[in-house]
Amino acid sequence: MATVREKGYSHWDGRLCERRFPWWPITRTGIQLAFRKKRFKVLFAGAFIPAFVFLVGLYISERLEDFKTIIQGSDRLLNIGPKYFSTYFANGGLLFLIVLVLAFGAGGLIADDLKHNSLQLYFSRPLGKKDYLLGKMSVVGFFVLVFTAVPGLVLIIFKLIFAGSFKFFLQYPWLPLSVLGFSALLTVFLAFYILLLSALSKNSRYVFILIFGTYIFSNVAFGILQSIFRTPYMALFSIPVNLQQVGAFVFGQKPPHNVPAVWSFAVLAAICGLSAAVLDRKIRSVEVIK
Amino acid sequence: MTAVIAASNLSKWYGNVLGLNDVSLEIEEGITGLLGPNGAGKSTFMKLITGQMKPAIGTVTVRGRRAWNSPEVFRGIGFCPEQDVFYDELTGWEFLTGLLRFYGYAKSEIGDRAARALDIVDLAKDKDRLIRGYSRGMRQRIKFAQAIAHDPGILILDEPLSGLDPLGKRKLIRLIKEFRSQGRTVLVSSHVLPEIEALTSRIVLIHQGKILAQGDIPYIRELIEAHPHQISVRSSEPRTLAARFVGDPSIQKMTFASDGRTLIVETHKRDEFFGRLTGVVLEAGIEVEEITSPDDNLQAVFEYLVGK
Repeated sequence: MATVREKGYSHWDGRLCERRFPWWPITRTGIQLAFRKKRFKVLFAGAFIPAFVFLVGLYISERLEDFKTIIQGSDRLLNIGPKYFSTYFANGGLLFLIVLVLAFGAGGLIADDLKHNSLQLYFSRPLGKKDYLLGKMSVVGFFVLVFTAVPGLVLIIFKLIFAGSFKFFLQYPWLPLSVLGFSALLTVFLAFYILLLSALSKNSRYVFILIFGTYIFSNVAFGILQSIFRTPYMALFSIPVNLQQVGAFVFGQKPPHNVPAVWSFAVLAAICGLSAAVLDRKIRSVEVIK
Repeated sequence: MTAVIAASNLSKWYGNVLGLNDVSLEIEEGITGLLGPNGAGKSTFMKLITGQMKPAIGTVTVRGRRAWNSPEVFRGIGFCPEQDVFYDELTGWEFLTGLLRFYGYAKSEIGDRAARALDIVDLAKDKDRLIRGYSRGMRQRIKFAQAIAHDPGILILDEPLSGLDPLGKRKLIRLIKEFRSQGRTVLVSSHVLPEIEALTSRIVLIHQGKILAQGDIPYIRELIEAHPHQISVRSSEPRTLAARFVGDPSIQKMTFASDGRTLIVETHKRDEFFGRLTGVVLEAGIEVEEITSPDDNLQAVFEYLVGK
């Protein structure tokens, strides 16, 4: 005859250490969950293509003679300087890919917590609202920096390796700071943008559409409004254009549209402010009225 | 005894809906049952204690520290919410270890604690299965596991027994009682009276956002003046017994049950009646088979108080 055993609860005297980064478990789980999606992995790998193309460009720029027949007079595009980096960072293609990666991988950051009622579990632990938001923002930060700061610094290092001298660095000593600065700006804006839209629905598919739709629609709206009003200030309606304007400013280049970059800064900052207000309201325990 | 959890003039509105209304309450060590119908304000009260909501008026303190906006208070609290709170795409193990990381344990200790909590709720075998595939009872148990995994001194359990089979309920009740014997504090809510009755006799009755009564069930029953105590005496000669009590000023009413063998007495002076009953039974030589108090239970107390 089988023995019936009952397991009881007994006190456990474990060692408790101070948690220095209480937001880290949120970040870790967010990144882990993103990589569980097969499509996301493919997209993530694909988003490195621009960095790879620009790296090849760097290599070719140092061996123009060897590739003369291939580039056929396009060598002016391979003039490596701040403009080259500005083109990498603020080109529509890279921004589009980053937003796509974030829509797939980070769209559910808050939406899934709302859907699964997880906020009450988080906030009944030693975790504050700021820690929670910082953890979620760090997930966005991870994906943005992986495609901006990391390739940017790698491109600078490879430029020095391919050139075999520090001349480039001495010529543009502020370039690494620009790379880091623009990456940080992009991270902050996209973190607020993604979390704002993620907090608006419990369905991560709707959030995906919202993130992507808002990004694309803002650019379409810019095109339509500009054709009606014939003023470059309509560029302020476009999220990608505002990011490009700011990118050009950070890399010391002429902004693509005839609008002061500070206006684009203001628009992006306003979106961040709006996001902070919405998040402050939305991130609280689920209040059920029966 | 000092209060572990103290609420003072606590009120909470949801827009125009009043969730809690001027609640002042002290909860001591041991098990306290929070009892009330759906929508009474039990979950609201628990969320205020666990710092998930800010009171509109009043304060809640846990071991003397304010609950709102004090994450450090929650190191010592285990909360088991009523609703499902899972990421279905995680395994039971990942769910538990993920939540344990918030407490700053070393990696090995996280594993040990998760394994132990899973073992306690009998889910060790299913730890690597996705929560999506868990049954209702298993989900309830893993929810309980996350509440106890960090070894809290205070357990807040919102309807912890719902969805469990009778065996699971029995086991969980025993586990909760073990917590009490270790000098911990357990606040458990339910709208199922027998569940609370099985756990504790110390209850807080909550209805429409107000505390109707607080204390031991017999004590609260004693305070309800409007409803006399019912005492049921089954004997071979109920009518003879009734005849002996006619004219007794302590008795309000006597009726006979449909079985013809049971006398039901209603009295405000229960102890006095029992004193007299013993003498009458001995004098008349009546054989008494059973004496019960049909309304000396939580169900009756609750119904009297909420006026149902």
